[in-house]
Amino acid sequence: MTVDTQTPGSFPEDIESRQVVVANDHGLHARPAGKLAQQAQAFEAEILLVYGEQSVDAKSILDVLTLAAGPGEVIEIRASGDDAAEAADALETLFRNKFDE
Amino acid sequence: MADKILTGIPVATGIAIGKAFFVNRNHRARLPRQTVTLDLVSNEVHLLQDAFHSVEAELSATREHVPAELKDYRLLIDTHILMLKDPKLAGAAEEYIKSLGLNAAWALEKAVSDQEAAFRAINDPYIRERMQDVRVVADKVLAKIIGEETDLGAMEGRAIIMAHDLTPADTVELQVNKIMGFATVCGGKTSHTGIMARSLAIPALVGVNKLEDNVHDGDLVVLDGLSGKIVVNPTETELAEYNERAAYFEEYTRKIKRHCHLPAETIDGSRVQVLANIELVEEVASVLDNGGEGVGLYRTEYAYLNRTDLPGEEELAEKYIDLASIMSPKKVVFRTLDLGADKFISSYGELGETNPAMGLRAIRFCLKNPQLFKTQLRAILRASAHGKVSLMFPMISGVKEVRQAKAWLAQAKAELRREGVEYDPDMPVGIMIELPAAVMIAEYLAYEVDFFSIGTNDLIQYSIGVDRTNHHVSYLYQPLHPATLRTIKLVVDAAHQAGIEVSLCGEVASDPFCVPILLGMGIDSLSLTPQAIPGIKRIIRQTNMHDCRKLLKEVLECRTVGRINDLVMDNIFKHFPDEVTFFSSLLENDEAPS
Repeated sequence: MTVDTQTPGSFPEDIESRQVVVANDHGLHARPAGKLAQQAQAFEAEILLVYGEQSVDAKSILDVLTLAAGPGEVIEIRASGDDAAEAADALETLFRNKFDE
Repeated sequence: MADKILTGIPVATGIAIGKAFFVNRNHRARLPRQTVTLDLVSNEVHLLQDAFHSVEAELSATREHVPAELKDYRLLIDTHILMLKDPKLAGAAEEYIKSLGLNAAWALEKAVSDQEAAFRAINDPYIRERMQDVRVVADKVLAKIIGEETDLGAMEGRAIIMAHDLTPADTVELQVNKIMGFATVCGGKTSHTGIMARSLAIPALVGVNKLEDNVHDGDLVVLDGLSGKIVVNPTETELAEYNERAAYFEEYTRKIKRHCHLPAETIDGSRVQVLANIELVEEVASVLDNGGEGVGLYRTEYAYLNRTDLPGEEELAEKYIDLASIMSPKKVVFRTLDLGADKFISSYGELGETNPAMGLRAIRFCLKNPQLFKTQLRAILRASAHGKVSLMFPMISGVKEVRQAKAWLAQAKAELRREGVEYDPDMPVGIMIELPAAVMIAEYLAYEVDFFSIGTNDLIQYSIGVDRTNHHVSYLYQPLHPATLRTIKLVVDAAHQAGIEVSLCGEVASDPFCVPILLGMGIDSLSLTPQAIPGIKRIIRQTNMHDCRKLLKEVLECRTVGRINDLVMDNIFKHFPDEVTFFSSLLENDEAPS
């Protein structure tokens, strides 16, 4: 599930990065993964979720699911592109609000 | 001879004769795998994109028609739409067409396989299960690409629905008034298909082997939910026979239903309660229509399945209070959560056990997850203030387990009392006798509880050591095995010795061949599928305890199933010839297949 084009650490300078914690009880399961991907798709920016060794496309529900990030895990949101800051903010809020669960 | 005769597991009785109509065919078996020349690549890309777009449009349209109370289905559809838009599916398939020259169908299958590999590597069983959703979505797209998608509008008149599998979400799309019956490749006795069919009172078979290879849209089929057969394109003679049999069955059903509201009392005045096994509150209508004297087993699992979160106390209490008050003053026995083995809550996922039937399930699962257990106990207690509610714990193996479960119940009661919430302080508490261990210590267990309920389905499996869904050994699953009958008798005697009532809620209770023997043992109540109630009441009303005790004495002296079958058959032939016509499948399981 690693995105080949950009490995962690090789990002350009203009990336927005946020550290978030998976706060909902069951981790990033279907409903939060769906909300996350849906929200991410609304932005032009390229958004990656970095979790341990893996980094995946936040716009893909399948990628987000395969992270299988459980409750309490720390994930980094990395967005790059025109609306990167807005995108990172929006996704950070989703995590903070436990995906409205 | 008919073109083909297929067999499956009957999950709803009756005979339907009509045209077959396929939904959810498994297209992967006939997937075209070809490469295309460079000039045709863009055609395949268009074909792929069009298929994705039109499935998305259809799902969006379906979503709009989902009633508000089914919001879980709506969320499911949302997830499916997101998967359709996912670059890892559509994008990857397109890339395979462009880079490898695969045709659209094969490219899609390859993209799905990639996902499958990624999901297989995940430890979290719940997330691993989501691959099912990817498959469902991809199958719809595949059907579009190869031009075999189901057009429900094309269903002319009424039809018999055939499918690889039917999910609760499919129910939303089907026009139930046009359906005469169901047959599916997947599914077991307790699958959604059976529940749906029984609530619609139409016949259904699940686990039908090679259904997709042998039945085509428009084929004339006989779906026999009594013997578990599908006759494809029957001859004139076969058709006439089945028409006659169907008419005869309808007449028989009508006849027995006319008397279903009379009490279940033998000719010589012994009274037995006939209750219903249900899993949905909606089934209450069918319980009352069929003359059920209450609910002897409410399987509470359904509210926990097909969802990603757990139901809260409010949600459960609302449902339970509805059930208790609609049935009041008739009784409702709530069985606490019986999950594990073949049923899992998504939030917990499969437990990865090598032998789940003997693993963390039912009461064991609840005692390990006390928060979840207490939420349910509180909801049941709250319902007890609105009707005649009892509660029972499944899969009890020892005295300590009963005491632990009762301790949680006491704690739930104390909490409610402190909060000033009403409940019935004298709500009867029982246990299910499903394990040989419980049978052997039944006399001790009887002092801990107010009643026993014998769950014969599991009890027989554990006693004989046979998985009845395993086709290699299912012939050994014998309700009339001498060991089974002695086991049941031990439990009934232990209960009566201690002065408590004993009920039986396994399939044996709806078997006309077994009922006279159970009456002979002195069973207090039988709990069965609502549709079977009129037939069983009829048996009870036409028999007398003297004959039943005599029959019991004779069968308990038999050493083989074969001999017991003969005795039971003689008895039924003598008193109930109609039942022999319709319910003889049980007696076919005598010998190992050669």
